[in-house]
Amino acid sequence: MAREVQRGQKVRLTDLTAGTDLYVGVALDAPGLSFDITLFGLDAQEKMAGDDWFIFFNNAASPDGSVQLLGAQAGDHESFRTTLDKVPAHIDRLAFVGTVDGAGTMAQLSSGHLRIVAGGEEVARYSLSGSDFTAENTVMLGEFYRRDGWRFTAIGQGFAGGLADVVRHYGGEVDDEPEPAPAASAGAAPGFAPPAAAPPGFAPPAAPPSPPPPPPTFGPPAGPPAGPPAVPGQQSFSPPVGPPTPAPAGPPTPQAPAPGLVPLDEFKERSAGGQRWFNQNSKLVKVTLEGGEVLAKRGAMVAYQGEIDFDYEGGGLSRRVRGRLTGQGMKLMRCSGRGEVFLADAAADLHIIQLQGDGLTVSAKQVLAFDAELQFDEQRLEGVGIQGGAMYVLAFSGTGSVVLMTQGTPVVLNCDAPTYADTNAVVAWTTGMRVTVASAVRLQQMHWATGPTGETYTLQMLGMSGQFVIVQPYEV
Amino acid sequence: MRGDLLQKFAEVEVPQRMSKQGPKIVRVAMQPGQDLLAKRGAMIAYEGLIDFKGEIPKLRQLAKSWATGEGVQLMNCQGQGDLFLADAGRDVVVLQLQGQGLSVSGGNLLAFDQTLEWNIERVKGFAKLAGQGLFNVAIRGTGWVALATHGTPVVLDAGEAPTFVDTNALVAWSTELKVRPHRTAKLGGLIGRGSGEAFQMAFTGAGFVVVQPSEVEA
Repeated sequence: MAREVQRGQKVRLTDLTAGTDLYVGVALDAPGLSFDITLFGLDAQEKMAGDDWFIFFNNAASPDGSVQLLGAQAGDHESFRTTLDKVPAHIDRLAFVGTVDGAGTMAQLSSGHLRIVAGGEEVARYSLSGSDFTAENTVMLGEFYRRDGWRFTAIGQGFAGGLADVVRHYGGEVDDEPEPAPAASAGAAPGFAPPAAAPPGFAPPAAPPSPPPPPPTFGPPAGPPAGPPAVPGQQSFSPPVGPPTPAPAGPPTPQAPAPGLVPLDEFKERSAGGQRWFNQNSKLVKVTLEGGEVLAKRGAMVAYQGEIDFDYEGGGLSRRVRGRLTGQGMKLMRCSGRGEVFLADAAADLHIIQLQGDGLTVSAKQVLAFDAELQFDEQRLEGVGIQGGAMYVLAFSGTGSVVLMTQGTPVVLNCDAPTYADTNAVVAWTTGMRVTVASAVRLQQMHWATGPTGETYTLQMLGMSGQFVIVQPYEV
Repeated sequence: MRGDLLQKFAEVEVPQRMSKQGPKIVRVAMQPGQDLLAKRGAMIAYEGLIDFKGEIPKLRQLAKSWATGEGVQLMNCQGQGDLFLADAGRDVVVLQLQGQGLSVSGGNLLAFDQTLEWNIERVKGFAKLAGQGLFNVAIRGTGWVALATHGTPVVLDAGEAPTFVDTNALVAWSTELKVRPHRTAKLGGLIGRGSGEAFQMAFTGAGFVVVQPSEVEA
């Protein structure tokens, strides 16, 4: 017999059922939204009992197996099996949390529930509705907790903040980060971006007693007065806070003047000289973020310094892009915050192109990153001969930079005469040319086909002077 | 005979123990009593009398721990002459340690002086996070080390700001640094729909980190 549990109500589990092997099902319904439903095993201080006590899609069971994720079941979007009498004594609470994946708020919720089933019979149900919430995008659904045995409480408490904030709240790894730069990204986030930065109002991080890191400084360090002479255009390899004494444990000592003794100098981080996008070397791009945002291919970050948030880019514009680019590997993440991000992809050559109101159409496979302010439109070039049936391109316009990646050194061809390029080698071209997929050169195709399948299809470009196509010496 | 090839790529005369011969080749000046440990198969040429031996007692233990995924084996090089090392066209980095310590990802180690103290270490806390081990070679003392990286690396000063590095792009770091695993706890990331940047190593303190522009493992 299902018992309705109201928001805030606490019940003793033994009043519901004699069993301790419980099934907990959660469903959250909202048009167009999807949710992550997770479970945290908390200790008596209400902190995460360990990384493995965070139960989600990729970690489907607690270390001892007392809590298991079962996945979607009839009527439930996510479900868990909790064997409460086997839960170790140091676990004091099991908290169920739901979070909107991407943009959206809990207020859009049309219906939702958390139910407890024992022995095949539903013994308790807590129903949620969107009217309980406003702009929150996360909800603490409910908890099992110990007090003279296990009890259940329906919390139904929403708050603004992503799962990252939940982890912070529960003392997860992210706590170790230095204090976020206030309003760095929150202020700059456009309307459709999920509120990624730690929102005010939510419980502050547990602030473990880590030594305060030196304040992040970006750009060339404010050279210590008696420090090593800074090479123009290069950041000096100086100790962090700049006392005039030599660094005790520094890398190859900066004082050593002989070039051979500081071999790493060659690869030192170079100052971007105020440029937002900067080629640290031919295969590494450094982006200096100061409030603005950058969209990058997912996984392209190799290192960063400062306070940077990496967000799943979902919703709004890119959701559409992602949907249509399925299979092309064009998955984006949004980088925001303050600091420097180093981007690279499998040692491909990187090229920064600045758009000043012009249009550039880039093969989706060759885009590494771009300014979030740029407008972009995803297009599909269809042609019988293209592998996979179509070629996906992003047409950028506006003012900002795009980073292209190429295998090998590319060539830029002017298109004032008809120009043909292999669809697999084309990187980008100026928007506005007439581009057609041609299976030309039929007679000669034997000579340059790359195999029995004969990828003999080309893009034919016809434009005016000043318009060009970039081709790489490599067929993807 | 004339040609760019002959002019640009002629041997560079240097007295140093290790120097770079172009971006992808390391040249080691071998002297008796200054043995070198190098990745097996890394020798591309040598001038003089140089012996290569594969069996070093400590290496058995090493090979065992590396067998789990890093798959790097070392050989002992001794003799007199010039030794040229390279690793599958990867970029090379040479550096000299003067008492400092360096922790090198096993797959990125190319060669180092045998006079250096070295040890295999497992980077703590890492396996728990990403479900895989990260085996490093910790090197300390005075001598030269050569690394191989996929693409031109960058050396970041962790003293300038806390530095976070993707674990697959990580090549080496000074052991003076404080290291811990770091999770940009976007849980969507763990689920596979995230930014793709779920785990990093965080470095704080005075020292440097070498990062390669690629996330291809080893």
